[in-house]
Amino acid sequence: MAGGVVAGAALAAGCASRGRGNWDFLNDGQAHTLAAICDQIIPADDFPSASQAGAVTYIDRQLARHYRRHREAYRAGLEQAELLSRKLAGVSLSQAPQKSQFEVVTAIEKEQPAFFALVRSHTFESFYGNPRHGGNRDAVSWRMLGLDEPPVRGRAQYDFTKGAQS
Amino acid sequence: MKRILKICALAVVAVAALITSGMFGASYYYTTQHGAGCAGCHEMASYVSVVHSSAHQNATTCLDCHDASMATKLRHIAIHLSGRIPEAIRLRDVDVVAMTANCQKCHQKEYATWHAGPHSATYQQIFADSKHNSKRRLMDDCFRCHGMHYSGPVRELVQPQNITGPWHVVRAGFADQPTMPCQSCHWVHREGQPETKPSTRISVAAPALDDSLAFFDRREQMHFAAANLALPQLYEGARPVHASPDRRQALCYQCHASRMPEPSTIADTNHWGPQVGSGDDRTPLGVHEGLSCFSCHSGHNENARASCVTCHPQMSHCGLDVEKMDTTYANPASKHNVHWVKCVDCHTHGVPKPKVQRTAALAAGQ
Repeated sequence: MAGGVVAGAALAAGCASRGRGNWDFLNDGQAHTLAAICDQIIPADDFPSASQAGAVTYIDRQLARHYRRHREAYRAGLEQAELLSRKLAGVSLSQAPQKSQFEVVTAIEKEQPAFFALVRSHTFESFYGNPRHGGNRDAVSWRMLGLDEPPVRGRAQYDFTKGAQS
Repeated sequence: MKRILKICALAVVAVAALITSGMFGASYYYTTQHGAGCAGCHEMASYVSVVHSSAHQNATTCLDCHDASMATKLRHIAIHLSGRIPEAIRLRDVDVVAMTANCQKCHQKEYATWHAGPHSATYQQIFADSKHNSKRRLMDDCFRCHGMHYSGPVRELVQPQNITGPWHVVRAGFADQPTMPCQSCHWVHREGQPETKPSTRISVAAPALDDSLAFFDRREQMHFAAANLALPQLYEGARPVHASPDRRQALCYQCHASRMPEPSTIADTNHWGPQVGSGDDRTPLGVHEGLSCFSCHSGHNENARASCVTCHPQMSHCGLDVEKMDTTYANPASKHNVHWVKCVDCHTHGVPKPKVQRTAALAAGQ
């Protein structure tokens, strides 16, 4: 009974995924474009790239929660980025070779400075922020900086009954 | 009047039919399609996706582990409609408790060994222990290792908050529940492959690091994979201690952790690191230096009984029964902790030559 009632209620409430794939706000196409931009901002080296570290997950979650005010900027910005990529590289940004992606993202920086600054800022937040928000997967940037997370912290074997010297 | 009764009867039959079909329909909806029913809610989609690439990818349905009762699903809908969707969907402390029983359904051997050892200690055993509580105050940081899934402050779990007691677990339903359930050290929703039998029974390769091994950090409310946890360099005074590179130990170190030294001079401060044996650390020194925790202990229940025979029939220098030597292995009250025992602890006037000759292969270092 539970599931039937709930399933009906869920459908009535519009809970169906509506083709979003695994994303809360973005669609798959937007997510791929965003990943390509993020990876030009923080590319992979000895450590993962921004998207490998969860930048798109972070931005997507925030656009569905705390960053709702930036939704329109992302919709328009990603659409423009795709148009620019097709104009300069002839293919979708996510399918363009690395060199072309860099040129397209450089063009985005010049032609859409506000959008680029927003993505750059959010990419840094995702990469260096707390993993609990969806980015910095496995605390990769903190390990890159030499920080152990969680830290190894032993406790004092004190005896309260023996006073401060115990 | 008859007409009204007829309408009422039809309405009752219709509702009964709806409920009945709903029951079977719901059961079908959530127990088939390998989680697709649950992934219908887009908040759940990424979690279902991860499970499909995890060691549990062959589990039949989400309901093998998770509760899908009426109350639970209605709560999910209420959260969705309210718009207060958390950034990451987590199990509540009561859900974690319930899940431990579900783990048992398949992992019976592991559950039995865990249940037989100290890692299954209950909230009552840990937080109402008069021997501990009469010397040390309880604090929220206790939950870092004892009750990492507990969500409230310690004052809502145990009363009174003093060193005189008597202490009682006051949160209903928690006294007999384990403080370190399976999810304390295992990350179920983690990419990985189902465990398979090794191709060779004895391998010289490094010990395998189970994909699921991870520490649940209560502060961050998330797991950190054992492969990414720190293996600290420990010191005995100023001397760096040789420790096993076994990555699984990183999980142990999160709770069985050492403390920074308290050297008497500034110069010492610059050269000394975390000290072996301080805090709750049990890194081996002396005759056992370099061994992994797992050389002697079973991870699930800490049991080290009968572990000596793994090495000592060939390697004992003394020709004595090491299990009966004056160490904490034979007698917990011994002053010679088996983790740090050295030859000179007993042979205070010099260590004699070995009575048992090592085999040619061991002597050659093979």
